[in-house]
Formats: sequence, structure tokens, C-alpha cells
Amino acid sequence: MLRFENVGMRYGSGPEVLRDVSFALEPGSFTFLTGASGAGKSTLLRLMFLANPPTRGLITLFGHDLATASRSSFPALRRRIGVVFQDFRLLDHLSAFDNVALPLRLAGGKPSDYAHDVEELLGWVGLGDRLNSKPPTLSGGEQQRVAIARAVVGRPDLLVADEPTGNVDAEIGQRLIRLFGELNRLGTTVLIATHDRSLIEQGRAREMRLVDGRLVELRAARP
Amino acid sequence: MNRAPQGRILPREAGAAPLEVVIAVMAFLAALALGASLVADRAAESWRAGLSGRLTVQVLPPEHGSPEPALTNETSAALDILRATSGIVRANPLSQADTEKLVEPWLGAGAVVGDLPLPRLIDVTLFPGAQIDLPALTQKLARVAPDSILDDHTRWIARLQRLADALVWCAYGILALIALATASAVTFATRAGLEAHHDIVALLHQMGAQSGFIARAFEWHYLISALAAGAAGSAGAAGLFVAAGGLELAGIEPVPFLPPLTLHPMELVWLIAVPLGACAIAWATARLSVLAALRRIY
Repeated sequence: MLRFENVGMRYGSGPEVLRDVSFALEPGSFTFLTGASGAGKSTLLRLMFLANPPTRGLITLFGHDLATASRSSFPALRRRIGVVFQDFRLLDHLSAFDNVALPLRLAGGKPSDYAHDVEELLGWVGLGDRLNSKPPTLSGGEQQRVAIARAVVGRPDLLVADEPTGNVDAEIGQRLIRLFGELNRLGTTVLIATHDRSLIEQGRAREMRLVDGRLVELRAARP
Repeated sequence: MNRAPQGRILPREAGAAPLEVVIAVMAFLAALALGASLVADRAAESWRAGLSGRLTVQVLPPEHGSPEPALTNETSAALDILRATSGIVRANPLSQADTEKLVEPWLGAGAVVGDLPLPRLIDVTLFPGAQIDLPALTQKLARVAPDSILDDHTRWIARLQRLADALVWCAYGILALIALATASAVTFATRAGLEAHHDIVALLHQMGAQSGFIARAFEWHYLISALAAGAAGSAGAAGLFVAAGGLELAGIEPVPFLPPLTLHPMELVWLIAVPLGACAIAWATARLSVLAALRRIY
């Protein structure tokens, strides 16, 4: 699914943010990524969802070596990844429905084909009555749920989420984690970056921790 | 629950008006240049049609002796030769009054013209497509009227044709410059639009949107702007050409030797090409600018 081998990353001529990071995500796995602020979590996620190329090392995604893969193949690879951004990155001029439908629209779907799925998913995350609301009129927690719905609506092969429960109450947080779990059971590989220890402890998922740009495997997945 | 229609990928730009004004002005100028080229082309054609198939014989006054009897005799003899030449439909001498009227725009009317030794002119009309042996005819005329000149107007036609061609090419040059300026304005606006919508473009790119999908969102935006602004500019120019046709009706006399500046209805249809051209330029420029910008993103 995803393999990092001795990956290093620095921005411009600055210090190396990631150093010799090597790990693999097996298909259908569920992984938590932890680490202090500034440890390089966001940078690692950006490499995973093809926002930046690594400075060195090898990344293999869905069987493609990114160093040698054609750039024209990247959009198709990106569409197989669902991303929950920490700052949500919703389009303010689009409704909640259109924001969630965006990945399906980009994949060439017609509104008549996906409208039911989108409405059902928004209902599931508790926003069934806010379909036509624009993000600026939603609370932070509601925006986060729209962002999560957008990331999972296309049933991606890989889901990468950066602090996906940071702005929601405990009940909604549990509900979202169940959503991720359900998606994982359907075959999606999930990686969640979080500070929330309670979230990590209640599951049996593997945990990786970034310390000063180096990756430490804290816990393997429990059966 | 009733849902709003599918939203536009790019929000409506509140600051697009300056670009639309630039495109409207460019389209107005382009339509004027295009209309001018059509007028020049039509004028050249009319000059050609007016002068081809015609000959003019000038019988000049002799340098010595009394001019009048000699001129009359030579003109009469020249007329006999012309009327006997096959391929000539008719040969009519111009009256003294007609001849004076020809020089009137330069010398004015009055006593001065009457004192000048004006040549006698013979207007000759040929059968359409008739081939006249001009050197032989010139020799025959020279025998009866030694100071006669046979003019088949080829020199004039060639000069008028060159003038018309130059005007048409000038108009094309102006059109090319306007197209370049329009493309530059759209490029500038597209870059500004990309900058303004950087977050949206980056997100779409991140979500796996094909470059063509993102480019289309910009293309449509600028294409519609260019169509509306181009149509407005072109309509303004068309109105001006129609108004030019109304000047004569209003009693304003046309300038001698210049063609009327109005466009015929079929020629006005050509002005539709201007907004279409503006659309094509805006579409291509926006697309190329966006694709070039996207190529710079990982």
C-alpha cells in the first residue's frame, strides 16, 4: 500500500524535518501517528498524500515508485487518497453538500448518481439538516465533520487524517472514530495523526511516534 | 430536502470588471480595424470595377499654332479610329464643360480654367473581356493625333490596389496587436485569479483534479467575460459604422475620392467575428496560463 524507505525531508536549505523515516502501511491496516508539535507529523502526512516530494529516500504508493512515476499518473493516485486536513480546507463558496461531493465530482460522477450517498453520509455525521449551509456559517466542529465526510465519501484506498477529532466533543469524536473503523473494515487503510491518547488507548491499532523527525514504532497492531 | 444547484468550482469574481472593460475597448478597436479593412477592400474593388474595361484618350493641344481647329480635327480623327476598332463598344468625347468639371476640385471654377489649354478627352468603353492591342492602337492614334495619349488606367489600378492592400494589411496588423494586448490582459488577469484562488486550486490539485478540470473552471470564467465584453465592444463599433451611413442622410457630404465609411449589412455580420475571436483568445490564454502554473506545482 505505502512504503517509506530512508526518507528525509527539508524545506529549502533549512534543517532536516524528517530523518531516515522507514515504515510500511499494509493494505487494510489502521495506524495512529503521534508526536509532539514540530516533530514532523504534518510533513510526514504531506509526503503521504503527495503534497511534497521527499528530499531523499524512496516512497512507494499503491505499487508506484514516486521518484520514477510519471507526473501525469499523480492525479489518479491522489484520488485514491482521502485527506482530512487539520485546517479542514473547505471551499467557503460551496455548500456542505457540494464540499462533500467534490471528490466524486472530480472523479467524473454526476450529481444524480452521488446525491443520495452524500446526503446519507452528511446525515451520519449529524449534518443532515445543514446540506445547503456554507462553511462560514458552520461551527468549527461542524466544519470538521464536513471535512471528514469529504475525505471518506469516495471510499478511498488510503485515508490520512490530521487531528480529525480536535474540534468535536467526545460523543461526536467517538462517532467519527467508528466511521473510520467502519471504513477500515471495508478495506480502507487508515492513518490518523493525533494527540488524543484516549483515542489511541481504546483501540487496538498500531502506533507510530515521531521524535525529532525520526520514526519510532511504539506499538504494533493488537489482534 | 431541496438542495441548491451544483455550485461553481470557482466563486464569482467581484473584481473582474476592469478586465471586461479592457476587453470591451479592445473589441471596439478590433471591430473598427476589421470594418476599415472591409471598407478598404470594397473601395479597391469598386475602383477596379470602375476603371477596368475603360480607356481614356487625351488629345493634347499642339505646342504651336492655333489649338482649337487642330484639337477638333485630331479628336474627330481619333474618334473615327476608336469607333472602327473591334472590342470597343463606344467612344465618346467629353464636352469642355465636363473636362473643366474634372479639374475643378484642384483649380476651382472660374476664368482661370477657361484660359488653360485643356486637352480633349475621349472616354472609351470596351466589351467585357475584350483584348485590345494597345501598342498598335497607340501607333494608329499617333498618326492622326501626334500629341495624343492612350491611358488604359493600369498604372492607377495598380496604385489603388497597392493602397487598398496596404490599408487592409495595416488593419490586420492592428488586429494582431489588439489580439496580443487582449491575450496579455487575460494572462495577467488569469495569474491574478490563480493567485486569488490559490487555496482552491491547491486543494483541487491535492484532491486529484486533472489539470484540465481546473483549467476549465478558469477558461469558462474568462470565456464568458470575453464574450459579453467583446459583444459590447463590437456592437459599439457596429453602431458607429451604421451612424457613418447616416451622415450622408443628415446632409453631410462625403469626402471626394474616399469610399463611404458605412458597412453593408453583410459586412456588419463580419463584426461577429470580433467577440468570437475575443472568446478564443481568452479561452486559449486562460487555459495555457493555468496549465503552465499547475505544471509548477508538485
